[in-house]
Amino acid sequence: MDPQEARRILDEERERGLSMIASADSSEALDAAKVGVLGRKSRFSQVQRALGSFDPEDRKRLGMAANELREALQSALDERSRALAGAEQARLLEGDRIDVTLPGRRLRTGSLHPLTIVEDEMVGIFTRMGYRVEEGPEIEDDWHNFEALNIPPDHPARTMKDSLYVEIPGFLLRTETSAVQIRTMESQDPPVYIVAPGRTYRREAVDATHLSVFHQVEGLAVDEGISFADLKGTLETFARALFGPDRRVRMNPDYFPFVEPGCQVAVSCFKCDGTGCAVCGNGWIELLGAGMVHPKVLENCGIDAERYTGFAFGIGVERVAMVRHGVSDMRMFVEGDVRFLQQFQGAGA
Amino acid sequence: MKIVVSWLKEYCPTDLSSDELAELLTAKGAEVEEIERPWDRLKGVVVARVLEVRDHPNSDTLCLARVTAGDAEREVVVGVRNMMPGDLVPLAGPGATVPALPEPLSARKIRGVVSDGMLCSPWELGITTEHTGILVIPDDLQPGTDFKQAYGLDDSVLDIEVTPNRPDFLSVIGIAREVAAATGVPLRVPDVALDEDDEKADEVATVEILDLERCPRYLARIVRGIGHSPSPIRVQARLTASGMRPLSAAVDATNYAMLEIGQPLHPFDLARLKGPGIVVRPANDGERLVTLDGVERAFTSDDLLICDTERPVAVAGVMGGAVAEMSGSTADVLLESAWFERGGIQRTRRRIGLSTEASTRFERGTDPEAVPLGADRACRLIAEWCGGRVLAGSVEAGGAAERRRVSLRPSRASLVIGYPVSAADAARAFDRLGMACEVEDQDLVAVEVPGYRVDIEREVDLIEEVVRVQGYERVGSTVPPVRQVGGVPPAYGFRALLRGSLRRSGIREVRLLSFASQEDMEMAGGDDPIRITNPLQADEAFLRTRLLPGLLRSVQRNVYRHVRGVALFEVGTVFRMKDGAADERPSLALAMTGPASQTWAEPPRSFDFFDAKGVLEALLEDAGVRHWSVGPPAGWPFHPGRSAAILAGEDALGMVGEIHPSLVERLDLGGRVAAAEVDVQVLMAHASSEIEVRDVPRFPPVRRDLAFVVDTATPAAPVQAALLEAGGDLIETCLLFDVFSGPPLGQGKKSLAFSIDLRAPDRTLTDEEADAVVRRIAERLASEFGAELRAG
Ligand SMILES: [Zn+2]
Repeated sequence: MDPQEARRILDEERERGLSMIASADSSEALDAAKVGVLGRKSRFSQVQRALGSFDPEDRKRLGMAANELREALQSALDERSRALAGAEQARLLEGDRIDVTLPGRRLRTGSLHPLTIVEDEMVGIFTRMGYRVEEGPEIEDDWHNFEALNIPPDHPARTMKDSLYVEIPGFLLRTETSAVQIRTMESQDPPVYIVAPGRTYRREAVDATHLSVFHQVEGLAVDEGISFADLKGTLETFARALFGPDRRVRMNPDYFPFVEPGCQVAVSCFKCDGTGCAVCGNGWIELLGAGMVHPKVLENCGIDAERYTGFAFGIGVERVAMVRHGVSDMRMFVEGDVRFLQQFQGAGA
Repeated sequence: MKIVVSWLKEYCPTDLSSDELAELLTAKGAEVEEIERPWDRLKGVVVARVLEVRDHPNSDTLCLARVTAGDAEREVVVGVRNMMPGDLVPLAGPGATVPALPEPLSARKIRGVVSDGMLCSPWELGITTEHTGILVIPDDLQPGTDFKQAYGLDDSVLDIEVTPNRPDFLSVIGIAREVAAATGVPLRVPDVALDEDDEKADEVATVEILDLERCPRYLARIVRGIGHSPSPIRVQARLTASGMRPLSAAVDATNYAMLEIGQPLHPFDLARLKGPGIVVRPANDGERLVTLDGVERAFTSDDLLICDTERPVAVAGVMGGAVAEMSGSTADVLLESAWFERGGIQRTRRRIGLSTEASTRFERGTDPEAVPLGADRACRLIAEWCGGRVLAGSVEAGGAAERRRVSLRPSRASLVIGYPVSAADAARAFDRLGMACEVEDQDLVAVEVPGYRVDIEREVDLIEEVVRVQGYERVGSTVPPVRQVGGVPPAYGFRALLRGSLRRSGIREVRLLSFASQEDMEMAGGDDPIRITNPLQADEAFLRTRLLPGLLRSVQRNVYRHVRGVALFEVGTVFRMKDGAADERPSLALAMTGPASQTWAEPPRSFDFFDAKGVLEALLEDAGVRHWSVGPPAGWPFHPGRSAAILAGEDALGMVGEIHPSLVERLDLGGRVAAAEVDVQVLMAHASSEIEVRDVPRFPPVRRDLAFVVDTATPAAPVQAALLEAGGDLIETCLLFDVFSGPPLGQGKKSLAFSIDLRAPDRTLTDEEADAVVRRIAERLASEFGAELRAG
């Protein structure tokens, strides 16, 4: 091979090599092309091997040309290789394609009962205010359910609602969780700050607005210097935590034998802010009964009614849940219909 | 209590509208539930004179009346022929409306004759509740006069919810007193001026009380020679609007006076009283009396009877007897006005199951001081409406109790209410309420409690009066300084934890009624249930001994309503009788049925035993119960081959399993139902919330998958327990990852495949060490279960 032929070969190999590389349509074809243009048996390698036999001038000149050609081919190879890899991956990805509109795989989801959710929220507000939860039996004796609460046997309040009695003489299903007040005060000296959530019973036919079994959160504070204003402020704090910061509280006189003065407490409507709407009617939502603990009740529990005063309140959990979530039929709470329950998915702690 | 507003304003002449009155009374504790306007639809009815009454040409029952309301004459068809020419009658011409009819009147043809309007009965006008004849107007009114105007029926009625502590609100005067206190408009007293006869009542009849405790005061007045006519139209309208039935003028007078003053009154026909004399005494056991409602009732010695000198004539404070009942021929009346002890009336009322306007008032407490006032007012009305002579004076036994004196310390009132109250403030409030008081010193106000305020017994009752008069809206808003950290007791928090766990396991919480039926008892196999003595319905005869029956019924309701895949739980109390006392225990139950798979991505399957058990396992883990075991089959109502008791040591934690197919069929549940029930108290006793952290291992594990072939009947749990024991401390985890039977295994064989991680805390285990452990395991399982380690 003479320098002239070498030069021709290099020129031919450039053209042939670039075209082979360009036409390689797979990584295998590209590997073959690489062997063909730059491999040991390639004409390019023959030229390189022949360089040593040329005179220095030609060697230098053709050596530079060969290097330049190798770099050009190498870079064409690299570029083609990248292009082919990209296409390859694209093909693989295409084959991996799924229908992303199909629903996701998930665990079954449970839910808490709306009364649990509401009770937890109410209890949570009071425990954050420093109140402790107390519980008591659902079957109560006459003393804790009535007498100690200033409701002696011939008291007209006993006729206000019908109670369910059990076969154990002197025992009944508690009509209020107020009985827990008595149990707590009998066993603990003031200060007392408690809430008593729980089930209560009434002899009533179940319909859209009545249940024979329902839930209350009863509150009690007994300490030195507790006033009616403390009751109002506490319930205001509670109502704002539950229904929003702008809520106002209104108290009207009402009667419960175990409190004096007693009141019925309404909260300005969270839907209409007190202007009147379908939820509230006249702008106020009647929420609960409350009052200052009757001194007779304190005395019944062995507490010095001159030194200590207190307030108590009882909130119906069903009532709050109904107002809150627009439940129109109370039977929904006790039927266990999944179509009702699933609407509370995700709610609650 | 229904209060007619115009009546109220007779005693407290305020300008306030009905709506304003309602708001004011509600703010003072007499909650107005509704404002009724019974004569709202009474429009266009005028007074007309009957000119002629003649037969309807085409009817035997109807007649035609020619009338004039001062203008043109018109002819109307009338159904009842009780009016005469010259009578005044209410005429509703075309376009007029009346309370009883939904549509305005129009001229229409009745049996071929055009009736130009209608003559009205008292019922159509909303004056009585009974449909009698046409109202013949007794008053001398000009024809053409508007009927509604003439009788002041542009009126409304406040329906007030009276709390049991305020029986004084069961009267017009009582409500007027409250309005007077709130507005400052002075209260008027009822007119009781009497023109008494020379004859003296106490010379005609006698009164004797044999039980002064049950009847501390009894007073009788006598009216002779009464006439018999209906009471005035406006009176009838007011009685009807107040919820009472107008009868005769004399009886209406006693009811009217009672509604006004709150003192129940009872008229006897004097001629039918033996003696004539009244004896108030306890009944003899078994003594009988036919009451005014025609029912013969028997009494006990705890009932109080009003008798004449020979026999009972009334049940004290509840209802009169038929023997001395007023009738159309009664000429002389003995009017009873008495004060009975509350509790006794309540007991009698309950015992005989008869509640009347009188008993309602007596059992809540009446005013002993109103006894003469009520009698005088009724006599005055009888004399006015029925004529007759009111005999001089009264016959009385017993008397009013002395008024209670209760003191108030303004300093105490300030403390309780939460804003400063001075002696003068308090005195002003009592003055407004018409209660006499005396400021004894700066911190002592003594109040004389009027008889009608049965609720005021001690200082705190006066404090309430002060804040009530001043207005609850004046009360400020403060929060007491609570010096403790709030929180929940462990049992309460534990139940919340269980609910959270079950919810995360995909189950929905229900809260069901606590009652159970006889059928539930059989379903649950419940022992020692607690019976409810006065259930409203038969299916609520017991308290539930288990949660499962109620839960299954709830599942059933969902299945019937075509809900797919039902999974429910309840955490609640169950009740049992234990040594004659109630044993209440917190319990937990869950039940699941139907499709368990949720999406296209899972193979379809239904809930079965292992779903319930898996939920239970997660629950036990969340609760921190580390040591528990599976016991024998759970028994009814579970499937004998697909259920188990769950034990923690010796204690029964609960049971898990599929519901027995026969019960599934009886409840028509359609397929397998997996369920569990757990005693929360036992669960909590075995729970631990302690977390003791061990170091995270630094050396790699050696993992070996071992498949053992055992008999199909061999349960997996003891195999795994033996494996762990044989493996010793080096076994870190052991997962049963496959259970398989069929070829190539022989008949009656199954393979249990465990994946075991072996690890030492202080070094990397060698293969030799691992092999030694595997050998130990294989030997143990071979000897104990005949297990064969499969090559793998
Ligand atoms: Zn509203």
